[in-house]
Amino acid sequence: MATKPKAVAKRKASATSSAKSSVKSRAKAAPKRVAKAKVSRANDDIGEDTRLALWRSLLEIRHVEQRAYDLFLQNLVKGTSHLALGQEAVAAGFATAMQKDDWSFCTYRGHHHTLARGASMEGVLGELMGRECGLLKGKGGSMHLTSVEHGAMGSYAIIGAHLPIAMGAAWTAQYKKTGQVSVCFFGDGTTNIGAFHEALNMSAVWKLPVVFVCENNLYMEYTPIKDVTAVHNPAGDRAASYGLPKIVIDGNDADEVYRTAQTAFAKARAGEGPSLIECLTYRHSGHSRADPGDYRPPGELEAWLKKDPVPRYRERLAEFGIAQDVIDGMDAEVLAQVDEATEISKASPPPGLDLIDVDVWADGGTAWRN
Amino acid sequence: MAELTYREAVAEAIAQEMRRDEDVVFLGEDIGAAGGVFKATVGLFKEFGPERVRDTPISEQAILGAAMGSAMTGLKPIAEIMFSDFLAVCWDIVANEIAKARYMTGGQMSMPLVIRTANGGGSRFGAQHSQSVENWAMMIPGLKVVAPSSPADVKGLLAAAIRDPDPVMFFEQKSLYPIKGFVPDGELVDELGTAKVLRDGGDVTIVALAAMVPRAMKAAEELSAQHGIEATVVDVRSLVPLDTQTILREISKTGRLVTVEENPRLCGWGAEIASIVADEIFWDLDGPIIRITTPHIPLPAADALEDATMPSAERIVREIVENID
Amino acid sequence: MDVIMPQLGETVAEGTVSVWHKAIGDTVSTKEPLFDVSSDKVEMEVPAPAEGTLLEIRVDVGITVPVGEVIAIIMREGEVIEVDAGLAGKPEDPAASKAAVPAREVSIKAANRDANGNPLSPAVRRLVAQNSLDPRAITGSGMKGRIKKKDVLAYLANGGASRTVSAPPPLNFSEDDTEIIPFNKLRKLTADHMVRSKATSPHVLQAVEADFVRVARARAGVSGAWKKREGFSLTYLPFIAKAVCEAIREFPRVNAAIDGENLVVFRRVNLCIAVDLDFDGLVAPVIKDADQMPLQELARAIRDVSERARTNQLKPGDFTEGTYTVSNSGVFGTMITAPIINQPQVAILSTDGITKKPVVIETEDGDTIGIRPVGVLAQSFDHRAIDGAYSAAFLNRVREIIQTRDWATVLS
Repeated sequence: MATKPKAVAKRKASATSSAKSSVKSRAKAAPKRVAKAKVSRANDDIGEDTRLALWRSLLEIRHVEQRAYDLFLQNLVKGTSHLALGQEAVAAGFATAMQKDDWSFCTYRGHHHTLARGASMEGVLGELMGRECGLLKGKGGSMHLTSVEHGAMGSYAIIGAHLPIAMGAAWTAQYKKTGQVSVCFFGDGTTNIGAFHEALNMSAVWKLPVVFVCENNLYMEYTPIKDVTAVHNPAGDRAASYGLPKIVIDGNDADEVYRTAQTAFAKARAGEGPSLIECLTYRHSGHSRADPGDYRPPGELEAWLKKDPVPRYRERLAEFGIAQDVIDGMDAEVLAQVDEATEISKASPPPGLDLIDVDVWADGGTAWRN
Repeated sequence: MAELTYREAVAEAIAQEMRRDEDVVFLGEDIGAAGGVFKATVGLFKEFGPERVRDTPISEQAILGAAMGSAMTGLKPIAEIMFSDFLAVCWDIVANEIAKARYMTGGQMSMPLVIRTANGGGSRFGAQHSQSVENWAMMIPGLKVVAPSSPADVKGLLAAAIRDPDPVMFFEQKSLYPIKGFVPDGELVDELGTAKVLRDGGDVTIVALAAMVPRAMKAAEELSAQHGIEATVVDVRSLVPLDTQTILREISKTGRLVTVEENPRLCGWGAEIASIVADEIFWDLDGPIIRITTPHIPLPAADALEDATMPSAERIVREIVENID
Repeated sequence: MDVIMPQLGETVAEGTVSVWHKAIGDTVSTKEPLFDVSSDKVEMEVPAPAEGTLLEIRVDVGITVPVGEVIAIIMREGEVIEVDAGLAGKPEDPAASKAAVPAREVSIKAANRDANGNPLSPAVRRLVAQNSLDPRAITGSGMKGRIKKKDVLAYLANGGASRTVSAPPPLNFSEDDTEIIPFNKLRKLTADHMVRSKATSPHVLQAVEADFVRVARARAGVSGAWKKREGFSLTYLPFIAKAVCEAIREFPRVNAAIDGENLVVFRRVNLCIAVDLDFDGLVAPVIKDADQMPLQELARAIRDVSERARTNQLKPGDFTEGTYTVSNSGVFGTMITAPIINQPQVAILSTDGITKKPVVIETEDGDTIGIRPVGVLAQSFDHRAIDGAYSAAFLNRVREIIQTRDWATVLS
């Protein structure tokens, strides 16, 4: 179920798009662009099919994450979970711009990125619930969602680790000249760990086809990132250190994310090396299920809810003339899929105990001796 | 049959596998144009070029991350960590990422990579460049751990490690780099997880690894010539998988086990072997197990101090003569 | 339930606890030794009288108490014991807490040590158990005389429990050119018994020389088959024992004991076989009703008690009701031994080396000289009980039986 149409971007990157993509310029440009789009849909650079693909992706993430939250409350989701409610546009925008065989790497907050690559909802929900139908057969849990067949090359729960790993995948693409891109998502907190800098430097030196995407949601865990970081933009202001342009975008605007991704991917595929993109966004819930988010100043959440990427994109679709019943129909359809996935997951048994002793080694076993 | 040094055998094994398989690539600090700080990779850069033999910045996390990311996407990387002590700065990639990826993902990922590193003491480098840390790797599920003692084993086991579909930690003992030994001509591929019986004796079984193997052999000859004690010497070669069949069989024959370990005392590989022996062949034991290790200290630098702390052939002889009867 | 000091022999009135194998609170079993006891005759392991838990130890190691005295209390499985004031106070009793030996000491049982007090290695323990050996009989070649696996294998290769005559451990002389070797328990018991016997009985020694040619032929005729069937060699001793048993029927007063001013003559012939425990003391287990046994059975019985003596597996019943004793020093090739009577018996026979000698043989055609296996049978008797003529007649009858019986037919 829940296979979604993938728009494959073939548009050439414009040389100036990265400069246009700063928050300031987008904030000024946005009303103009909307007004312009209304009158000139023929010149729309994204197009209806892609917009509907973005919409479906946003909906899938939003509904699955909300369902995950409901399932916590029913005590059906065990362990910890890090929801991406509010950050859907980053995942939807990049995944929609990716080719099917591109590789993506994300953190323990990775439900949205895994879903966006096409992993099944019951695979995600089942893994959260510790069920046999889970993507990892229950062996990884919420923080390690992976679906290699969809190019979702893992969720990494140690901050920073996956930047060099994503770089390694890009090395394969470069060495084998496959044209694939490796995309690495991480949080603002990651920009202060050594592996971030090691990976950025070596990727730049080796001119690897890797795109580093920082989801700056303002908080590392509980502490505001600005309190512990020497620069204003934790990723963007570090780009120059590695000879890369500063790119900071509105991470709650799926279109903007999508366009930025296309530009970066084109650069990577052209052999021009990595990009570092900082997406400004906000998580609507706490850091993890244990966190009510009390440290946030009053009014901050409310302000960001006005920029919620899902209602924003619903309006965007309407502005571009897409029929309300199509917009609402997709919403209802996705919700029905989430309901179905929930039931499948609930009905799925716990993983068999025989799984304990498989898959340490390539031969399928776990033997450390003869 | 050619006589090679231990270091030449490293380069030979890598070259053999890179010629055979285009997916084999090699990265690390100073490994390329410079030929390695221990000159163990001389000639590879020239033969295979900068695309396949890649010099890296001093970024151990980047080196191992690159190895992991490329391994899971179709390459067979060999990564060099110059000194095994430096594994501490990239241990996350080793222990949390590489070792666990296949299991955590329910078998979705493969990790055919080799991490080579110069391990161990005897070079007067002090405590941060001399550690024998194979036991760090041994205790992490998901890593294979190999430590050869001779040029022939270096070539055969390194080739086997490169072909192995699982991650292999390959510990080269840096004080062995200059030693020479005969290595069979032509393609050489050994088998991981096999110990080797180097000497047969009826009185005591010495189980040793890497640099301790030649010392154990020297001690065995001395024991025979001077004390009438005949020692079996087993070279463990591979800690994971561990060839318990060979090791336990040889211990059962003599009823006496002496482990010779370069590592500090606590949690050395010999402790694990002693524990397996106590579990499985207790009733074959004809006396207490003797573990000969470096004391539980950071290794000192001065030659007089280092030589006094690492197990020597003389110490092996002395401990066996004093304790074996 | 009460654990009492066992009756170790009919003339034994008291016993000394030498080892407690269990501590208070330990599970005890009829299949495991609970304590070792020594008397003037014997040292042995005694199992618990029932399955249960050791509740109280009343007699410490080294303390001698009369037979029948309660030395420990066991709580049987399922049993409820009423705790009286005395018992409730016991945990504070220094004697009781002393008896509760720390677990580590208890874990190395006396039986798992060699003659020099060294613990046995696992490999040696397994071999000892598999072959029912007494580790104290095995000479160790390791440090401080420690037994190594190869020592046990050598011991077994030399015929198992049969004697390996090895040199005693080298002595360590001190500065005054002596070494003090303290008596072990069995040595002390043996010493006391010998002194008492000599003090009690006026010993007289008589000896005869016997021609063992018929015995030798009979042994040669069956030796291979016997060893194969029985697992041990057929020695001269069963023949001598058989002859002794038969002669006793005609001379019953050698099969007797003195009780005050009476000679108590026994109808049953319960033959004691003296067994030397590797130079470290002597025991003489009993073969009851030996006279009722055919030769083969007697041979097996002798083998059985000797084996059990050397492996420390004799039971209290093996030491009671003996009536006559045969002591065999023959393996060392001695010519004659003057044995000391096993009290309260009145006679003891020693057999010594049987060697080939030229012997004058009387035939109808005149005397000839032949080479025959000859050995001396020497009897010490209590002159209070019998006189020289009676003893001599008995010895002569023993010799006659040995020399004239068609042993080959007896065996077939």
